[in-house]
Amino acid sequence: MAILSIDTISEGMVLMSDVRDRSGRLLLECGTEINAKHLRMFRTWGITEADIVTVDGHADGPASAAADPELLRDAENALRPLFCNANLSYPAMGELFRLCLLRKVRNESR
Amino acid sequence: MNPANLTLDFLVNDAVVYSLPLLHDRLNQAINHPRSSITDIIRIISEDAGLSSRILRLANSPMFGFHSDIDSIGKAVTIIGTRQLHDLAMAVSVMGVFKDIPEGVISMTSFWQHSITCGIIARILATYRRESNVERFFVTGMLHDIGQLILCVKVPGLVREMIVASRDSGIAYFAVQRSVLGFDHGAVGGELLKRWKIPAIITEPVGCHHAPGRAELYPMETSLIHVADVIAHTMQVGFVGEPFVPPMDQRSWERLSIPISLLATIMDRADAQLGEVMAILSGDAPS
Repeated sequence: MAILSIDTISEGMVLMSDVRDRSGRLLLECGTEINAKHLRMFRTWGITEADIVTVDGHADGPASAAADPELLRDAENALRPLFCNANLSYPAMGELFRLCLLRKVRNESR
Repeated sequence: MNPANLTLDFLVNDAVVYSLPLLHDRLNQAINHPRSSITDIIRIISEDAGLSSRILRLANSPMFGFHSDIDSIGKAVTIIGTRQLHDLAMAVSVMGVFKDIPEGVISMTSFWQHSITCGIIARILATYRRESNVERFFVTGMLHDIGQLILCVKVPGLVREMIVASRDSGIAYFAVQRSVLGFDHGAVGGELLKRWKIPAIITEPVGCHHAPGRAELYPMETSLIHVADVIAHTMQVGFVGEPFVPPMDQRSWERLSIPISLLATIMDRADAQLGEVMAILSGDAPS
């Protein structure tokens, strides 16, 4: 399973668990195959992420997969010192580090 | 002077000369007065041409993303709200209060870049939480490092030493400040704003932004500013003295109940707003 952001969810993916809105109302059941209408509905109801069934555990988010691994490693080495005080094992902080990494790679490959 | 003998009182005392313009007192009175009307508020803001033109430019910038033109303060009051407009006016004028500070340890431009980034992120986080007055979060974010500015004015040599010590040791700058001074720049800022008679809903988050667990009155507001500051550091816009990305307090993040997957969107939105807001706020000095 993997929690994916709405921007990385595409048609044909399958829900691993129910999608509910803020108040807990069921919007889409577990096992549903996502189509364009569902994605539009998620956006309308302010759903930003969903639990998606993944094949062979490959759901690191397409953004990091798209980047050149060498560039990514260089960027990571360059950024490590900046984050030496940050608690990267904490999910929110880890995500910030990942985003920071992608920004750096994006800026440098430009 | 021995740094251990520096007190909050000493640091903040003459700094009171930097005070928010009279306008805010008048605006506050007008808002709180039971018999004042929207017309009174419009009149007070419109008297300051520089202020009102900046507010209008902000209201028409991507930060608000309204579909129609907001071409008068009257329209802005009705759409944005009186309290909100008051807080926005404060955000717009605070840079003017500190415009005569000599460039020293840190450049004013990079100081405000970080502060405005933090303000914008705080405002976006507050929007996602459906807070009623997001402008208050904007101004709090803009003010969160104001104590660092005071330190730069009062003890520039010591600030430089503490930055070097932090960089060399790998210990967070605010932690170095605590061991040298006994308090961090947040506490200095909080104290200054208290003297300015700014309400606790702003002073506490500023004062505790590196120790969100200490907030007693406004834990949610403090958590939000703490998280916004960490995100702003991650974006690496501007420089205020802290060489590293500070650690994120887990309880603070959880308190906001914002999904992790939203962080990418938050950064993108902040990026989209930053340039224009920075240009509007730092444009020609207010009259």
